[in-house]
Amino acid sequence: MTNLKVLGVVLGTLAVYTWVANSIPQLESVVPEELSFGADVTEAELVAAGQALFNGGGGCLVCHGLPTRAPNLLTDQGGEGTIGQRCATRVPGADCKTYIYESLTDPTAYVLDGFDPMVFQARVFSGAQLWALVAFLQDQGGPVTVTGADVAAAAEADAAAPAAGGPLTASMDPLEIMRANLCLGCHVLDGEGVATGPPFDGMGDRIDADRIRRSILDPGAEAAEGFQDQLGTMTPTIADLLSARQLEVVVQFLAGQGG
Amino acid sequence: MSERGSLARALRRTALPLLCAGAVVTALAFLAEPLFAQGYTPREYGDFPIIGSRAAVWIAAQLHLFFAAFVLGVPMFAVVAELVGMLNKEERFDKLAKEFTRLLLVSYSATAIWGAVLVFALITLYPRVWGYLAEVFAPSMWVYVGVFFFESFTLYLYYYGWDHLKKGRAKWVHWGLGILLNLWGTIVMVIANSWLTYMMSPPAEVTPDTAPDMVRFWSAFANATWMPINVHRFIANIVFGGAIVGAYAAFRFLSAKTDEERAHYDWMGYIGNFVAITALIVLPFAGYYLGREIYEFNQQMGTTMMGGFMSWLWVVQAFLIGVLFLAGNYYLWVGMGRIPGAERFQPYTKYMLVILVLGVMVWATPRNMIASRDELTAMGGQFHPFLGVLGVMSAKNTAVNLMILTTFLSFLLYGRANKRPTVSWAQRGTIIQGALFVIAAAIVLFYGVYGYFVPAIVRIGFSVYQVLAVLAAIGGVVTLNVLMMRGAESRGEIRWGQMPDRAQYALLVLAVTFTWLMGLMGFARSGIRQHWHIYEVMRDTSVDAATPALGYASIVISACVLMFLGMVAFIFWVGGLAEKPVISGVGSVPPPEPAAGD
Amino acid sequence: MGLLRTPFRQAIAILAVAYALIEFGIPYIPPLFGVASAKIPNTVVLQYLLTVTVGILIWVSDNERRWTEFKKPIHEVLVRPDRKLARGVLLVGVPLLMAFVAYGRALPDMSAPPSFRAIHPAPPSSIPFQGEIIELTGLENPLRSVGSLDEHYEEGKRVYYQNCIACHGDALRGLGHYAPGFNPTPLNFQDVGTIAQLTESFVFWRIAQGGPGLPNEGAPWNSAMPAWENFLTADEIWSVIIFLYEQTGHEPRRWEELEAAEGTEAEGS
Repeated sequence: MTNLKVLGVVLGTLAVYTWVANSIPQLESVVPEELSFGADVTEAELVAAGQALFNGGGGCLVCHGLPTRAPNLLTDQGGEGTIGQRCATRVPGADCKTYIYESLTDPTAYVLDGFDPMVFQARVFSGAQLWALVAFLQDQGGPVTVTGADVAAAAEADAAAPAAGGPLTASMDPLEIMRANLCLGCHVLDGEGVATGPPFDGMGDRIDADRIRRSILDPGAEAAEGFQDQLGTMTPTIADLLSARQLEVVVQFLAGQGG
Repeated sequence: MSERGSLARALRRTALPLLCAGAVVTALAFLAEPLFAQGYTPREYGDFPIIGSRAAVWIAAQLHLFFAAFVLGVPMFAVVAELVGMLNKEERFDKLAKEFTRLLLVSYSATAIWGAVLVFALITLYPRVWGYLAEVFAPSMWVYVGVFFFESFTLYLYYYGWDHLKKGRAKWVHWGLGILLNLWGTIVMVIANSWLTYMMSPPAEVTPDTAPDMVRFWSAFANATWMPINVHRFIANIVFGGAIVGAYAAFRFLSAKTDEERAHYDWMGYIGNFVAITALIVLPFAGYYLGREIYEFNQQMGTTMMGGFMSWLWVVQAFLIGVLFLAGNYYLWVGMGRIPGAERFQPYTKYMLVILVLGVMVWATPRNMIASRDELTAMGGQFHPFLGVLGVMSAKNTAVNLMILTTFLSFLLYGRANKRPTVSWAQRGTIIQGALFVIAAAIVLFYGVYGYFVPAIVRIGFSVYQVLAVLAAIGGVVTLNVLMMRGAESRGEIRWGQMPDRAQYALLVLAVTFTWLMGLMGFARSGIRQHWHIYEVMRDTSVDAATPALGYASIVISACVLMFLGMVAFIFWVGGLAEKPVISGVGSVPPPEPAAGD
Repeated sequence: MGLLRTPFRQAIAILAVAYALIEFGIPYIPPLFGVASAKIPNTVVLQYLLTVTVGILIWVSDNERRWTEFKKPIHEVLVRPDRKLARGVLLVGVPLLMAFVAYGRALPDMSAPPSFRAIHPAPPSSIPFQGEIIELTGLENPLRSVGSLDEHYEEGKRVYYQNCIACHGDALRGLGHYAPGFNPTPLNFQDVGTIAQLTESFVFWRIAQGGPGLPNEGAPWNSAMPAWENFLTADEIWSVIIFLYEQTGHEPRRWEELEAAEGTEAEGS
């Protein structure tokens, strides 16, 4: 009898709590959808996806958020207006869509006076993602002309030639590798380059080859002394763009700098 | 790699009896074995029949946690009880400590079994997540296994050495073993906490692209919410251990055959309840610290917890806390019936009851009321024009502080009931104590009301004043009480065992409520990660990615609580068969002094 | 007072008084003193009555004598031969009552289902505003550091009276002319639980993106608030925010304090 009573009290208490929890609003948190693109993608979807890339995973704001590092895109640049307003007139013969797309895929194509080439590896994005970025940038003050057809074509091309990966250059000359991969966009070597990250000059005196290799493979893991604020700005995709031999060439070259 | 593998194999051969150890190490061996990775792609998720993978892992983790919390909480006050017995030369405290430890011994293997179930569930159902975590935390997992091993053997020494290490210095050695046991237990908990807090708050430099072997161990280990969880769990384990011991005593009381047994378990239930409620009063501060760290780590996560998806959970929590306060006080008031001299105080319990009931009503008044359309129109919005003021923090803080103060007063009256102080300043002392209560209550009320007239930034500071006032009053009253009760005369012995059954049922309700509340808070902590395995690092891409609604969660929690209590009942029953505690002379010793006790 | 001598009757009386206070006292007494009030939603009435009932049960049973006396009439009705009539009435009446309640619940209901809303959903860390990205985290009202507060206040007043008054009302209580037509009803800014609890950046987000920009999380949303970024400039929005705070006398929550405040709510048990 006692056991039954105890069981009754326990079950009763549990029942009341379960009932209370069930009698209040039942909300399930939904998982945000990941956009998938096809030929039927709408303009709004493209722009939204591009915006998410621009603000988040794309890492664009690392440079385009700072007025001195890269041209403004969302606000006026040199009196020509936002990117959507100026894109069509920047290069004779190239319409807005072509101009932005080519600027993305070939960072050295149309470099603005006073700026360095973009440290941006378009090949880590799918074709659809690139078009989403273009659409988002066009939307900044101009009409969006990217269509589902562009996206579908890019997706087909991606499927035909599996994207990304592979070195940008076949050279085994450390300087050429570094120039091709835009290392000097952030690091200074013999007066060449921009001093955003730690200089390559004298690097061998400061850290050893292991540390250099690690820093290239996983740039976000450890900050160089005095550059803690910049931690996480170096693109983690560099490692995907070097062959193993090239990586070693660069590491050994940098470890030999100084002393 | 091969070193890791061979170590794993060696351990597997030799340490098979340690089920949990085996599980962890087997998992590591799987990871370390490159052969397994060749020729096929490992799957990301397993499938569990009927209830699904999420519920399976949920139940395994929750049951492991329930047992672990008990196993960690009980030694803490076993050691304290043993010390009290040693210092006061009171045999019954020593016996109590030993009985606690016996409960511990039998629950220990259940903890390990459920730990193993959890690990196997993770390996088979969430191999990708488990692989990632194992790679990041491998060294700490080996240490974990080692410490677990030491903990087991220290426990064996502690329990089975009880009668051998009984006299003089040997007793102190024995007590030292108890301390060591707690130390191992705490280390084990702290290590496991780092794994789960990493899932909540991975260090900022870890991104979805970071390979797990590139994550720096220490920054992952000592992540943002690790320490707050350690503190919070440490205290909550004491509460939980006390509540379960109380429920155990209540059950034994109800099924007792002799007056002696009843007296013993009545007293044991009182101690369990005392420990639980005392630690509970500290718990909100640890919760505050944890909440603050979550906000600091990620504002989005904090808002999801408080204002967004999880906001209704706190209404349920308020309800449960109301039950805790009411049941805890009820137990004390009913218990006054067996204390000679308590008649003096009984007329006042109804006023305390009124404060508590009003407090619970205010505490649980929702800010956004659930209302039909007509009712909404009548209210002119989501907020009730009059009761809406009770929905904000000022009112809640005031209510809960007054409830804490009232509960403390119950304890005080309970402890004072059968004493007649002999010190010359007894009357003045009592007046000062009364004044302290009134002042604290006045401060709490003043800042509660004043809080409505100042901006939010100032108001937040007020809650600190309120808490300080309550704590200061409690400290002052306890100190005075200790001094005042020196050499106090007795008005008669507590008639241990002459307790109505309904008070024991209150203890049972307390234990069920604590257990359920623990499950609910576990859901909150785990649920705020939403669709991430590792927050903003590894996405949950399984079919169970969405965080379930509260109703579903409550069903899972109830099922876990039921399974836990069922197993505990079985284990205790088996433990009771093996060894009957020797009970003698409990009714004739003076009662513990709650205000001056541990 | 002879009627109220037994604990059972006292308990019933307390319950009745509590019900009267909750159901009628709270809506009708405060207005006598000039304080606004309204009928309490049934869910909350039920919650209060449950708490009171538990309190009463505790009171009758925390003392052995009272508990015995309390049980006496119940016991008598159930077993004494001369209470046959009362017993019969109970045995028939209680099931009938249950049936009536069940019937009422099973009836098809024409009213809209109750609506549940989290009033302050989680804000994003940044929002697009007229083509620019605005970081909300840590954002302060830029107008507070330039120009004179009076001017911003005047400008905000103009904006408010041109755009907001129709719904949010002259007194900023959410009682504008159009207010009764909306569900959810427009926010009452005078209330201690609305803008007084929020940072200015949160308010900016809500004004700029309005109902269409509300996140899906927390609740179903169908707010009619327009996305004001399409009609107002950033400065106009910031100035109307200043107007809201100045006019209500509330102060915006500041950033560094936010964690602490919400932390209390987290487990302020």
